[in-house]
Amino acid sequence: MSCSPFDLKDYFFGELAEAESARVRTHVESCPTCAEELDRLRLTEGALHSLRQEDPPRRIAFVSDRVFEPRWWQVWWNSAPRLGFASATLLAIAIVVHSFARPVVMVPVPPIQTAAVQVPARAVDASRVDEAVRAAVSASEARQAKKTVEMVEAARRDIEFQRRADRVQFEETLMLLQKRYNGLLVASADYGGRP
Amino acid sequence: MIFREVEDGDLIARARRKDVEAFNLLVSRWEKRVFNYLLRLVRGREDALDLSQDVFLKAYQNLGKLEDDQRFGPWLFRIAHNEAYSFFRGRHPEDELPAEAAAAPSRYHMYPAELSVVVEGALSRLTADQREAVILKVYEGFKFEEIAEALECPVSTVKSRLYTALDVLKEALAPIPSRGVQ
Repeated sequence: MSCSPFDLKDYFFGELAEAESARVRTHVESCPTCAEELDRLRLTEGALHSLRQEDPPRRIAFVSDRVFEPRWWQVWWNSAPRLGFASATLLAIAIVVHSFARPVVMVPVPPIQTAAVQVPARAVDASRVDEAVRAAVSASEARQAKKTVEMVEAARRDIEFQRRADRVQFEETLMLLQKRYNGLLVASADYGGRP
Repeated sequence: MIFREVEDGDLIARARRKDVEAFNLLVSRWEKRVFNYLLRLVRGREDALDLSQDVFLKAYQNLGKLEDDQRFGPWLFRIAHNEAYSFFRGRHPEDELPAEAAAAPSRYHMYPAELSVVVEGALSRLTADQREAVILKVYEGFKFEEIAEALECPVSTVKSRLYTALDVLKEALAPIPSRGVQ
């Protein structure tokens, strides 16, 4: 086998078929150059893995989190007063029924079809979710556009600031040169005035 | 791994039927990988988090277009790739891609934190294309075919970017001893 670096890298990344992988392994055992190259690849990979995976600073908020928050009446209904409210309602119904149904008539009660009693599943309103996703995507695009505008504006401000700073510095330098020039003129006049 | 894939497939099927809780579970499973991929590409936590959010929103919107549930990973990273490159284009409209250059200091006899700094420096010497290939292969462990699918380019292109990047990284992180570096 030749010392093709591509074979060696494919081997290193486990992308070769078993037979080919075995050939490269055999070759590396007898080829110091390839063995050294393989060591360097392992060192490089080891160094790269010194960067740890980071946890997101906060959980990625999917749009449904808000959409599926229970409504106020759902919160109330699922809270402790529900049992009391239901008991009071049942008691009231019983009293009313009892007051109107004095004669006791034995009516055969049909058996309850327990299998037919189902807890209604929480309805997933797909259109609401889609609408919320669309809104979130639009908001995200608007946010990106706003960020870009802000960056351009910030860059423009930086340039303007730099331009002003340059002008001030230029004026100060000019003033300094003017003073030096004046000093030289005075000095030369003094020198020229001497006998 | 196989069980995990089956579970993901099941969640995807449920999410397709607008089961939002199933999709939420998918988000919680993949958010760390997507976030880290974007973080190493754009190198700003807030930007990476914003982009991650967008990736999952778009994934939810386009889940119906996913042809093979078993290819969810590459498909999701393709969305992440597109988001990242849209971000780059927004920041550098006149350039194709940013190619930062930073000198990487010598690496040996370092504490892990120092080594991390050196590695970050070495990664920053790569072009965004090369860095992305390294992230997807070394950190995310995708196969070449999966990377090619995510980046929508030939496998040969992926290998070329990765191997060129490796040559740069080797020089910075594992120099040849005979060149005088320990």
